[in-house]
Amino acid sequence: MWQQLFMQCLNGLGVAGILVIAAAGLAIIFGVAGVINMAHGQFIMVGAYTAALVDELGGNMFMSIPIAFVVVALLGLIVERGVIQWIYDRPLETLLATWGVGIILEVTMKFIFGTLGRKVDWPDLLDGSIRIFARPPHFPYYRVFHVVLAIVILAVTFYILYRTRFGLKVRTVRRNRSMASCLGIDTAKIDMLIFMYGSGLAGIAGAVIAPIKAATIDMGFSYSVNSYMVIVLGGVGNLLGIPTGSFLIGEAETLLAFRYNTVIGQLLVFIAIVIAIRVFPRGIFGYQERR
Amino acid sequence: MRKVRRRSFLQGSGAALGGLVLGGGAPFYFARNIAKAQEGDTIKVGILHSLSGTIAIIETSLHNAELLAIEEINAAGGINGKMIEPVIEDPQSLVQVFAEKAKKLILNDKVTAVLGCYTSASRQSVLPVFEEYNGVLLYPTLYEAQECSKNCFYTGAVPNQQLDDFEPWIVANLDRKKCYMIGSNYIYPKETNREWKALLEKSGAENMGEEYAPLGHTEFSTVINNIANSGADYVFSTLVGDSIVAFYKQFKQSGFTAEDVPICTPITTEQETAAMGAENAAGHYTSFNYFQTVDTPENKSFVERYKAKYGANEVTNAVMEAAYFQTYLLAQAIAKSGTEADALIFEGLPGQEFNAPQGPVKIDEKNHHTWLWARIGKAREDGQFDIVWTSKERIRPDPWVDYLYPNKDCDFTNQSVLDRLKKPWSEEKNRSGTMDI
Repeated sequence: MWQQLFMQCLNGLGVAGILVIAAAGLAIIFGVAGVINMAHGQFIMVGAYTAALVDELGGNMFMSIPIAFVVVALLGLIVERGVIQWIYDRPLETLLATWGVGIILEVTMKFIFGTLGRKVDWPDLLDGSIRIFARPPHFPYYRVFHVVLAIVILAVTFYILYRTRFGLKVRTVRRNRSMASCLGIDTAKIDMLIFMYGSGLAGIAGAVIAPIKAATIDMGFSYSVNSYMVIVLGGVGNLLGIPTGSFLIGEAETLLAFRYNTVIGQLLVFIAIVIAIRVFPRGIFGYQERR
Repeated sequence: MRKVRRRSFLQGSGAALGGLVLGGGAPFYFARNIAKAQEGDTIKVGILHSLSGTIAIIETSLHNAELLAIEEINAAGGINGKMIEPVIEDPQSLVQVFAEKAKKLILNDKVTAVLGCYTSASRQSVLPVFEEYNGVLLYPTLYEAQECSKNCFYTGAVPNQQLDDFEPWIVANLDRKKCYMIGSNYIYPKETNREWKALLEKSGAENMGEEYAPLGHTEFSTVINNIANSGADYVFSTLVGDSIVAFYKQFKQSGFTAEDVPICTPITTEQETAAMGAENAAGHYTSFNYFQTVDTPENKSFVERYKAKYGANEVTNAVMEAAYFQTYLLAQAIAKSGTEADALIFEGLPGQEFNAPQGPVKIDEKNHHTWLWARIGKAREDGQFDIVWTSKERIRPDPWVDYLYPNKDCDFTNQSVLDRLKKPWSEEKNRSGTMDI
């Protein structure tokens, strides 16, 4: 019993790792540019297919991570320049527009790759599991990898936002957009770069999630939903919101699924989040714009 | 994989939609018994499979298998000298379009019969159309059974043909009696597990746990932990779609081997093993009536001809095989009874036999389902299955298995039922043509 409970806590950590990876891009774009990218899940899907292609061409996941980052960042650039830049100040329209972009991406990918899922392998290095206890289930290496990667992504993002000149400008824009632009910061360019960076993170998410299942056209939706939940719960006031939201949701989901079952676990988590929004309308780490 | 897979996902909503589209307002006086005039020298047969949309991949393969059969029948001289003319419609994977297209095939094209549908949702949306206008549908998918329609002939497996021998085989040959059931959260797995639990009880095996994951769920660490916790020595899986691949992969990564805890399932086919990477499936068991590796001359030549026509990389699976042989069954039935719908339904199709790739199959006279072979396959490293057990004879289809629903079955040979079904439409209270049992 205790062994299972312990494994369950570890599993929750693994799930939280995936959530951080999936939600980071969405949170950063929303936090800075104020756009909720409804196509986020589809960006993840494009990242997954990129990984599948790299896999097919003989590469492994470590190669597909940077490649997926670049490919999806460029996709983000196209979407931002082509659509979003004209409607930043109309949040409702950005919702609709990015939603449409998501549908276009799904249909396009379906045309190119068909509806059959693509298989993506783990690199041999990550094949297998840590034997914590004598008998299975063991803790697979890929879960460790997901947690480590989540920490790396948060650390890199922290460094960019808080230790570089670019990050200083980003934070300035977020605090007070009009004042920042009065001071000569090119806010449009900041938005564009942040959109690219967030999209690229979605690409990485796709590349590392695909190997635990397969690259499929409709995989994006569930990750969109989970990412929104992380943001709603954690808030985008500062970077801590992402890991906090992910950790709470990941552990709650796995422990409740362990205690009851998977369906009830998800149900209870949704209910808990609805209540949490009542208590923290802006998320646990929400912030107030300074005017 | 993604094919929105399988069967009755949307069964409930499908039925609801079908009801909306066709309910009450359908002009029943319009064409209750359309004379199926055969103009010219061809016999028209409708083919109703999605060639676009989410389930296009699998349905296109059914479409291809049926066209292959039609081509062969025509090359061999057609039906009594008349060629079969396929009338192809694409319902675009949309449940409501299935019903529209079915109506068009019956009323406008005046087809003799329709080969079509894949999911239970699409079947349930077209059934009212076939029943109202007295058309004939041949349906190739395995499904959860508990359905009987005068106008529909089911050539895929029903649960008793996949399960009844599987569970005793596991007890006898794998020596495993502690079962953990995991399925997707919708009707097919729940009905299948109801039967499986009854089977477990019959053979004195233990039910160590039962769990359902939402459709499309791909995070199975908790389930795997629960399986370990329960002490089960095998898993019975009715997961569908994306979940299959994720579960097999994560099961292996968590340190479970097929030798320790095999996964036994009536669902995973060659297509899923290819999508997950065959090494993740190797050693696990699937129960099906057909595998590509079935060793009959008919199957060898079927696989050969299919690959010759559609490409060497194509794989065949059980549903395609059913699509293929049901075309032959229909052709033989037309040769026997002519093209008039009631003649086909009451004389031509019931009892019709064919030497299919899986072995000789026969449409049951009473319940319109099909006698099929049962097989158990062990997945290999190359994604194909080693057939480790084959039934001695073909298995009778039983839409309501005796051990759960004693004395419940449908019987279209029962004279009183027939009299009721043949009554003119206006006197028919039960519009659906299905029977109350």
